[in-house]
Order: sequence, then structure tokens, then C-alpha cells
Amino acid sequence: MSVEPVSYDHMIACPQCDGLSTKPLLMEGQKAVCKRCGGKVMERKRDPIRRTLAVALAGLLLLLPATVLPLIGVSAVGLFNQASLLDCIAILIANDYHLIAVSLTIFTLAVPVIRLLAALYISWCIRTKRITPALVHFFRSYHQLDSWTMLHVFLLGIMVSMYKLVALAELSIGLGLVAFILLLICSTLVSVTLDKHYIWEQLENGCEQ
Amino acid sequence: MSSEPQVKTAKQAGLGQCLKCHKLNVITHKDQRCSCCQAKISLRKYRSLEYTLAWTIAAIIAFFPANLYPIMIFTSLGSPEASTILSGIETFIKLGMYPVALVVFIASFIVPLGKMLGLLILIITVKTGSKVDPKHRTQLYHLVEFLGPWSMLDVFVVALMAAVVNLGFITSIEAGPGISYFALMVIFTMFAAESFDPRLLWDNLNNDD
Repeated sequence: MSVEPVSYDHMIACPQCDGLSTKPLLMEGQKAVCKRCGGKVMERKRDPIRRTLAVALAGLLLLLPATVLPLIGVSAVGLFNQASLLDCIAILIANDYHLIAVSLTIFTLAVPVIRLLAALYISWCIRTKRITPALVHFFRSYHQLDSWTMLHVFLLGIMVSMYKLVALAELSIGLGLVAFILLLICSTLVSVTLDKHYIWEQLENGCEQ
Repeated sequence: MSSEPQVKTAKQAGLGQCLKCHKLNVITHKDQRCSCCQAKISLRKYRSLEYTLAWTIAAIIAFFPANLYPIMIFTSLGSPEASTILSGIETFIKLGMYPVALVVFIASFIVPLGKMLGLLILIITVKTGSKVDPKHRTQLYHLVEFLGPWSMLDVFVVALMAAVVNLGFITSIEAGPGISYFALMVIFTMFAAESFDPRLLWDNLNNDD
């Protein structure tokens, strides 16, 4: 059985159930679902490059205040203490919980930062039409990061901690918490605005030329 | 396959979809790379079930020390008091803080347990060629995938509390050894979900027709 060298560029497979269908022509803002399993097969987002650039840049500007400024503070019987994200990591290292310190650094600091930087870089390169084969490898690695950002979980962690601490001492909210929430919003928006199909199309076309 | 619309799968056509850039490639040999993004591709994820099972077993093993060792050591006026995940929830119920007790119970006990159970169900149904509607099982997979990072909640709460509550002699909170196992368990289940190939759930369907 020999396979004929046919081009399958007009076809697309569902990432969930592997069902084949012809690639739909989508307008901006439309999405296509699989007729077998109902999952999303393709999506065309509105103004993906410019929106991603804006959101990623905003996120990067919020990064420093979100990590360095105190998130919450407690005061009890005349004593006061507050902690930022960096303090959390420092305390864990001081208490020899290296595994937790490393995971906290990776999931709430390193991965979100790398994602924002990568989204900014990719969008910039596509906007200025500087597409190289290296960029293809770069964007491939970007996909790996998606499930490892945990800013949203950390925010819920802050809220649970606050609820726990209310019984213990008087609470104060730091400026860092505001920056952190805004950073979380930017980081989430990046995955909303970034159109992977569009970028892959651009990268493929760019490399072939 | 009576009610389902007749859809040919990419596998039946000898095509493998790249999991990174979604391009279809004609699969001709092992260790093939995607013609668009150069990622390694094959018809199905390599040894998907074996990897998923291995990571799930690792997570189940870590689940025990995570629950048996204390995750937090609370010192008040010089007397340390260690609490495990379940005894911490018990304290909340005693204090009448039902909403937090529920959130922590769901996030750090039900969700990890449910994830491991869900992964086992997925592995077993693929192995035994179960006829349970693959649509529902795909939904189960997406639930497991979605819940992944949320179980990190308790780890972050302990890290934050340890950093904030540090008021000299009067009160201090320290992380306990259970927290490292807990973080490992969460990471293992995330690897398990990542190595599972949801397309396997639909493959049984095609062998019937």
C-alpha cells in the first residue's frame, strides 16, 4: 500500500477525536466545531497581533510591583508583618522547603513571565514580518507552558489565607495585591487574544517564501 | 456507529495531526517530524497509556504522605501545633467557617482524589474497549485537565501564611513536610493528564464499523 503524495492543506483533524473535515474559511471572531465530538477545531480571533502586543506589554509592566510589593499584611498586639510574593519564596528557602520554593517560583513567576515575553516577541516578529525558522521552534515551545501557569490558583490561595487570618489578626491589603490581580488579568487575556492558528499560518507561509 | 455522523478519522487516512501546530502530515515512518513546526509526530501519542498509568500510580503513592504528614505547623506562645490537610478542615468546621472548609476540602482532597480516579477510569475504559459514550469520557478528560493546577491551592496558602504570620514569639506559621508530597502529587497528576491522548477514547468506535 503506497501513500500518494497528496497535499492535505485543505483538511483539518479534530484534536480530540481525530475526525477529519475540510478546513473551514472563517471570518474574524468565528469558530468551527467538530461534527463528531462537538469540540472546538479552529477559531479565528479578532485583531490578534495588536491585541496580544498590548496585553503582553501591560502584563510585563505590572510584573515588578506584583512581585515586590506586599500582598497582604497582618497586625496583632502592636506587631506588624507583611509579605510579598518574593518574601514567600524567601521564607520557604529559609525553612529548607526547596521543592515548594522552586514550584512556587516556576508556577507563579517564571512561567507567567516567559509566556508574556514570548507572546510579545512572537507578535512583534509577525507584525514586523521577521519570520525565521528559529521562531517556529520558539512558538512550538510556547505551547508547552499553557497548563503550568498558576497565577489564578495563587489568587485563590491569597483569598483563602485572608479568610484564615481574619480570625487570628487584623488584616491589611497591600498594593502588591492590586498589581497581582491586574497581572493575572493580563496573563489570562494573552491566551484569549493570541490566535495560534493565525500565527502558525503566518509562520508556515513565512518559512516557505 | 449508528447515530454518529460518518466521519473518517485522520488515522484511517494514514494522517497524523501535529499536536503543536495542528497541521496534518502523512505518516510514513517512525520518529517523523512535522513538516510545519518540526515537532515529533505520530498517529497517537507515544506510549500514552503506559505513561499516564505510571504518573497516576506515582501520584497515588504521594497522596498518602501528603495526607498523613502535617502540612502546617502553627506556633502560638511557644507551643507548636501541627495540622494535616484533613485536621485543618476539621478545625474550620469547629470554628464554624463552613465556606472555607468546603473550598479547602474540595480543592485539596476531593479534586486530587477525583483526578486520580478519573485518570484510572480513562485508562481502564481505553484498555478494555469500553462502549461508554466517548463524548462523556472526553468531557471527563477535559475536567481532569482543567482541574490540574487548582489543587496547588493549599501549597500556596501555606507558603503565603508562613511568610505573613511571623510575629516573633507570639504566633508563627511554618510549612510542614506533607506540603512537599502534596505538591509532588499535583505535579504528577498534571503530567499524567498531559501524557494521555484523548483520541484513544474514540478509536474503539472505529474498529466496529
